Amino acid sequence: MTLAVDSVRADLAALVAPSQVLTDSAACAALAVDGKVPDWAVTPSSAEQVAAVLRYASEHHLAVIPSGHGTKVSMGNPPRRYDVALSLRELHRVIQYEPADLTISVEAGMAFGEFQNLVGRSGLWLPLDPRGGAESTVGGMIAANAAGPLRQGFGGPRDMVLGLKIATMDGKVVKTGGRVVKNVAGYDLGKLLTGSCGTLGVIVEASLKLFPKPPERATFAMRAGTLGIARDLHRSIRRSPLDPMRLVLLDSPAAALLGDSAAVPEATGVELWIELGGSNRVIERCMLELRRLASAVGATMGRREGAEEAWERVSNLALWLQPRYQDVTVLKAALPVAACEEFLSRAQQEAEAERITLVSFAQVGVGIVHLCALQETLSATFGGLVVRLRQAARDVGGTLVIEHCPLDLKSHVDVWGPGGDDLEAMRKMKSAWDPNGVLSPGRFLGF
Amino acid sequence: MKSKGLFRELARIVGDDGVLWRPEDLMLYEYDALSSQRQPDVVAFPRKTAQVVQIAKLALRYNLPLVARGAGTGLSGGSVATEGGILLVFSRMKEILEIDLENQRARVQPGVVNLDLSLAVADEGYYYAPDPSSQKACTIGGNVAENSGGPHTLAYGVTTNHVLALEIVLPDGEVIHTGACHWDRPGYDLTGVFVGSEGTLGIVTEATVRLSRKPEAVKTLLAIYDQVGDATRTVAAITARGITPAALEMMDGFTLRAVEAATHAGYPMDCAAVLLIEVEGLLEAVEEHADEIEAVCQENQAREVRRAKSAEERDLLWKGRKTAFGALGRISPNYYVQDGVIPRTRLPEMLDFIGSVEKKYDLHIGNIFHAGDGNLHPLIMYDERNREQTACVIKAAKEIIMRCVEMGGSITGEHGVGFEKSDLMPLIFSEDDLALMSRIKDLFNPLGRLNPGKLLPTGKMCGELRGGMAGGGPV
Repeated sequence: MTLAVDSVRADLAALVAPSQVLTDSAACAALAVDGKVPDWAVTPSSAEQVAAVLRYASEHHLAVIPSGHGTKVSMGNPPRRYDVALSLRELHRVIQYEPADLTISVEAGMAFGEFQNLVGRSGLWLPLDPRGGAESTVGGMIAANAAGPLRQGFGGPRDMVLGLKIATMDGKVVKTGGRVVKNVAGYDLGKLLTGSCGTLGVIVEASLKLFPKPPERATFAMRAGTLGIARDLHRSIRRSPLDPMRLVLLDSPAAALLGDSAAVPEATGVELWIELGGSNRVIERCMLELRRLASAVGATMGRREGAEEAWERVSNLALWLQPRYQDVTVLKAALPVAACEEFLSRAQQEAEAERITLVSFAQVGVGIVHLCALQETLSATFGGLVVRLRQAARDVGGTLVIEHCPLDLKSHVDVWGPGGDDLEAMRKMKSAWDPNGVLSPGRFLGF
Repeated sequence: MKSKGLFRELARIVGDDGVLWRPEDLMLYEYDALSSQRQPDVVAFPRKTAQVVQIAKLALRYNLPLVARGAGTGLSGGSVATEGGILLVFSRMKEILEIDLENQRARVQPGVVNLDLSLAVADEGYYYAPDPSSQKACTIGGNVAENSGGPHTLAYGVTTNHVLALEIVLPDGEVIHTGACHWDRPGYDLTGVFVGSEGTLGIVTEATVRLSRKPEAVKTLLAIYDQVGDATRTVAAITARGITPAALEMMDGFTLRAVEAATHAGYPMDCAAVLLIEVEGLLEAVEEHADEIEAVCQENQAREVRRAKSAEERDLLWKGRKTAFGALGRISPNYYVQDGVIPRTRLPEMLDFIGSVEKKYDLHIGNIFHAGDGNLHPLIMYDERNREQTACVIKAAKEIIMRCVEMGGSITGEHGVGFEKSDLMPLIFSEDDLALMSRIKDLFNPLGRLNPGKLLPTGKMCGELRGGMAGGGPV
């Protein structure tokens, strides 16, 4: 085994540089995925090197998992095999930045925080608040199609990717799309790679559409007595001329958690948080509108100063909660917008029956509901609950996935749930890109 | 090829009134808005998905090309059966199957006309955002195939940003459902791949699309310039102010005069260019942005900035813009329209370049741009009976598209690659890029019988344009 380790190490070192291949246990353990530790950790510094490593892995049937800063590594089923860790962290250059055109091309390993700082200097931003926040890499964010509550106002990574460079398993670096904001030449493989969770190819460079930052932003918290009142309120907001950037419904424990990071969750009432952007005059108008809508249903409201930290927590549930609780599980239901409340009440019933407390954060305008369990629970019990919650989501026309959980739970329940009648087409897609099945094997829908 | 047996079998699937095979009938289907190419062997009008499945299997058995077509308004030859075969025309699958306002979505058959969908939900305050200029005729199925744009996609995105789910018939007759009516369905985004695949991967038989809320306020401005350069500089200046208008269109004086003669929209006849700018949203935001835009226009030497005072005035200004191609068709026997894209800050430079090409070849070129996103539609006037001039048009068009590529742009922003530009693909994609696209195509369309000769290079005449030159010209 040691010999094999050394010979592969030498081969990989020839493709990158000796210092970019690590085999020591600490370096490899740091890149473990669901408890599986790779034998080699490679950190290429160019797109071509990434492609060369992929080709080598494919030819030698070595399972390889790409990663950025690992902020979303808890997503996915445990890998069937894991031999080579492919870290993109050394690919972090800006390739081309045209602030006047609102476009930028960067390498995939660039940290999102650094990215936002750079474009922020020209008054621009990429209006995304992904899991992992500033720590995420641009490539990882696209590979996971990671969108937070800002999706309400701006859509997700899918809508902002203009083009990608992708390293493929046959050792090529291919391009899809381009650098201009409108382009329909060729198949839109950027859409395919967005959200493919590192199972088709490795994103090495992304061209993105930037947006002007709103001059002012304001967050209002509206307190509603019941879920029903909250529903009436956000329905009337969605039918109003207001165009919120973020809109999140917090159940009582979630509101308590968010209101005071030190507080123990306790019932205070359901809250609806809304963020709006524009000039002061526009925000003034929005506030009047909101006040009118709130009083019509008997809700109270107040402006939250310094809400950015709270919003970061909402987009980063697992990372925020993890250090403070023994075991954190975060489930994500994606639903038709109108079905959020029905799903939420059913989820609470199912959870109560198992004596499990679920804290819920619902992006009610886009139909994304996060349910968090903060206590240690027997995995078998919790697995059963996930299956029933998944059924509840399906019953209203949605899906449910596990975003983050203790490893043990993954042996009881599939992270993604069942596929549809296009599963075979997806399988074909996977084998066209990765014929030897060595790229993140088993992580995504069993591919 | 044209066997009576095939016609009979098709008639058994779609009924006697659902098949056309006489040459005089087929003539109507030998062209799209690009040009006339060749006749299909037979035209079939399916009424439901099951019939499309049967026809796909039949095409397979007869080893015939199968080409889907909506209203035939495409500008890249995408819906013309350039290699013959069965043309599937979706004009009888035009039902809006479901409107779900609570979830802001609609499920439609592919033959639904783009504008009809918006009209169906207008009273409730909703609309379907992508608005190609042909929206009164073009179909959602065609929009999905071509990933169509339109003036208002500057702020709201093109078709792909508004399609949630698809029902697709694959060439072997298998039916799959991609996407979902909600975000983040686990799995690969096949919907995103099929949108814009120009009928080469599968045939869309149903689409679920997003409906948007109508804004509270809309303001439409017309900025009039004596110098084209001032108009193009204004475009960059508006973006630099952090304003994203809902639409930002440019027309040059030559185009304007033709448009005015055709529509009497009230455009000035003596100017060098106009910008048609629209801002939408909350009343207060719209007022602020309109004032700011007006100031920017004036800083850039606009002769005059008009604001539409009523919905009628606004409609008239847009009618002028949306019928501009037709207006130019009135003054020239033929025109050839391009669809290149450049970074929007390079517009002034590009316009100068187009001007120099115009002089070099002694041609008239009308310029209609989706200026806000750098999408150019230069219209080159010509008379196809004049062979020398036609040859110049090809050269001029090539030079313009090459310049777009050199500026880091694209060969097509919204019209699609189709038959017209398939051999230009190597200008922006490497062999490896194209090989991967071929692999994706082979996955779904292994025999290549689905819309053959489109999107990917045929390799016959690399780097050549073969667009409007083949015959018919504008319709």
